[in-house]
Amino acid sequence: MASMDRPISRDVPAPDAARTAPRRKPFRWGWMLLLITMFQVFSFFPVAFAGGELNETLGMVFGIYILAEWFYLFLAHIITQRDDFPLEILAFFLSGIGLTICASIHETYAVKQAIAIGLGVLSFAVLTFLLRSTERAMFLRMPLAVAAVGLLVLNLLLAKTTNGALNWISLGSFSFQPSELVKVAFIFVGAATLEKLTATRSLTKYVIFSIGCVGALFLMRDFGAALIFFFTFIIIAFMRSGDFRTLILISAGALMGAILIIYFKPYVANRFATYRHIWEYVNDKGFQQTRVLIYSASGGLLGLGVGNGKLRNVFAASTDLVFGMVCEEMGLLLGILILFVFAFVAVYAVRGARKSSSTFYSIAAVSAAGMLLFQLALNVFGITDLLPMTGVTLPFISRGGTSLICAWSLFAFIKSVSFNIGDVKPYRGRRRKG
Amino acid sequence: MNKTTRRGYALIPVIIAFLAGAVLLVYMFVVHGAAWSSNRANSHLFTAGRLSTAGTIFDTRGKTLAQTQNGRRVFSDSRSVRKATLHIVGDPLGMISTGAHAAYKSRLSGYNLVDGIYSIQKYGRGNDLTLAVSADACVAAWNALSGYNGTVGVFNYKTGALVCSVSAPSFDVNDPPSDPEKLDGVYLNRLFSGVYTPGSTMKIVTALSALENIPDIATRTFTCNGRMRVGGSEVVCMGTHGEIGFQAALNKSCNCAFAQIALLLGKEKLSATARELAFNTPIKTDGIQLAVSSLKLQNASELELAWAGVGQYETLVNPCHLMMIVGAIANGGQGVQPQVIRSMQSPSGVTVYRAITRNSSISISAGYAQTLQKILRSNVTEQYGDNRFPNLQMCGKTGTAELDGKTSHSWFVGFSQRADLPLAVVVVAENAGYGSGVAMNTANAVMQSLLQNKIQ
Repeated sequence: MASMDRPISRDVPAPDAARTAPRRKPFRWGWMLLLITMFQVFSFFPVAFAGGELNETLGMVFGIYILAEWFYLFLAHIITQRDDFPLEILAFFLSGIGLTICASIHETYAVKQAIAIGLGVLSFAVLTFLLRSTERAMFLRMPLAVAAVGLLVLNLLLAKTTNGALNWISLGSFSFQPSELVKVAFIFVGAATLEKLTATRSLTKYVIFSIGCVGALFLMRDFGAALIFFFTFIIIAFMRSGDFRTLILISAGALMGAILIIYFKPYVANRFATYRHIWEYVNDKGFQQTRVLIYSASGGLLGLGVGNGKLRNVFAASTDLVFGMVCEEMGLLLGILILFVFAFVAVYAVRGARKSSSTFYSIAAVSAAGMLLFQLALNVFGITDLLPMTGVTLPFISRGGTSLICAWSLFAFIKSVSFNIGDVKPYRGRRRKG
Repeated sequence: MNKTTRRGYALIPVIIAFLAGAVLLVYMFVVHGAAWSSNRANSHLFTAGRLSTAGTIFDTRGKTLAQTQNGRRVFSDSRSVRKATLHIVGDPLGMISTGAHAAYKSRLSGYNLVDGIYSIQKYGRGNDLTLAVSADACVAAWNALSGYNGTVGVFNYKTGALVCSVSAPSFDVNDPPSDPEKLDGVYLNRLFSGVYTPGSTMKIVTALSALENIPDIATRTFTCNGRMRVGGSEVVCMGTHGEIGFQAALNKSCNCAFAQIALLLGKEKLSATARELAFNTPIKTDGIQLAVSSLKLQNASELELAWAGVGQYETLVNPCHLMMIVGAIANGGQGVQPQVIRSMQSPSGVTVYRAITRNSSISISAGYAQTLQKILRSNVTEQYGDNRFPNLQMCGKTGTAELDGKTSHSWFVGFSQRADLPLAVVVVAENAGYGSGVAMNTANAVMQSLLQNKIQ
């Protein structure tokens, strides 16, 4: 961590005084976390005691979870000497909701989810550390790009078909979704490549990398993920060029591509045939969406209580449809609060990007926030029939390890806008300091 | 660098669009939540498409008509009550769309926006509904129909309480017919969803139009020779009434006189009166959509206009609508909406809804209403005989809707002028012949039952 404290080098143009002055709003992380903890105790308690007496495994999982979040933030406070951890606290809040839902289904799910959250926090910490030096980031971008494409190719070779999408790799009893990990690499590589403003060669490489990713996802029939990558690509490309006309061209091209695909592969269109017609297919193609609406409405604003829902009996309830489960059992108010949390994080990223110490961070944060928001919209509005359903997960809350790790890692990118100038080792091209 | 970092603001429209989506989502839940939560696929409430968990349905006197016991819907112990109240209570499968089980399923589930269907969770049931109908009156009406298909409706013309609603054919909900197709329209509540040729009951409308448009109608006389030539064909009367005045023409239901009145009025004026009385207008009462009564004279010939005046043209009338019209006359001109639900109690025993009287769109000027009351009263005293309706101070009009090659439908529509019995009644007995027969007897039977039980 020594590099963080190194003073800023002289040959970087000195930013104006207003921006160097550390703007530290007094932020009492302890109070906020206390509030979150109270909510968690309130929601964990009935789940742990669902059988009439305490389920020890669940009691332990919940206990460790609450202790771990306090310990993590306390440690982070000591190490970084800072008070503001809104992202971490919100991530713990969201992950806790997912953990509650998992625990109410099966204790094995709870243990797995808790471990996944642990891995997510670890990824967040490691990534935050790596990102503090832009030089490190630049160094890592090529290996990451290669690894990402490698993963997708591996995926295509090994994939098992799940719900019509070939987006899972199974290794024994452990299965993971490579596209989730590639999301992290996609932003990392994109932001790092484009930070070097003058090199068109690196931009070309990134475009090729993007086409590779989106193409692989299309081959896997994971249209949801492909859309998310495409949207993120647009954000990164705009942040890089600021050129609306090029972007409109790209989008028009993509649209034409999509039309061609639908023309030549009618099964793609079939997947979206129920859109806005779900009530005509209540018991077949519209089954999931209609159940989400029926049971979310049944929950009202306040919910029926965790464990008392019926949506949990529907396929993919705790993964793709988890927003419906939250609404039915914990209430529409919480569901809406979740949406607002993500909107807040996006605003945080945009505001932070304006003041951040490096364009790398700005691009990474804005594109990560955009990616999360877009994925959230595809998920929540997809299962409620406001958008076509694409089968993507709800970040932080859906059951599943890779999705959680991805969400925490994306928060690390957003976190990067808050790095102080003094903390950051700037990247100055290939020139070595000497 | 400044430029690049500022480009992040491009995400703001995306955030705004996202928030707009969130607002739309909430809006959808506010508007559709009740309907969504009471969908038949909701296994909180339905088991294999049958309503299983919901509140109790009582009649106006607190008799249980339907309730949930051990996760099943249980209906009245009495077979005749089950058959007579089938259409107003509804069936657990919701085949009878105007029955309480279908039309009020979200109320029976106890749904509200804040708690959803939490009361099902907590109490195992939703809101209890007390209907305005009297099970006894329904049974009396059912028995009086004596096997004819048709419908009987009675409502309080001052408050709107629908105290009787019977539709035949019916079936025992505990023993549903294996082939409902055999029973013609068994799932239809004919009171709400049926339409019939009105026959002579239409003369009430023609008479009102005459009062409104022909100032000296009361003193005019018409000639009836048993038939009348119009536009190359003729209108036929049931009798030969000779010189006949306005009131006597209605008493005797003289077709010739009313055909002449219709011709005097013309299409526009008769249509205008019909419009006033909410013909050709969708009526929704207590969440139930009534079948639309239609009177369309735009393309009618002279002959057809004459027949329309006596209720035999293409005119179709919904029985509940006709009951509302007569109710407006009885109420001094202002119509009220029939109310199916008297009150609703939450599972915790709090009354969360109590019926309030709502005016309907039917409104007649008070003077004409009073005149029509007198004439309709004279129908009973001069023509049918007051002894047909002992103690009821009944006013009314029969109707015989002639059908091609089949026995006519028998109609009676009327109201009591007793202060303690402010009820209007409509009866249709299909293929039962003259209105003065089955229909009038049924009207008397149901009114007597209501009088005896002091139900308003």
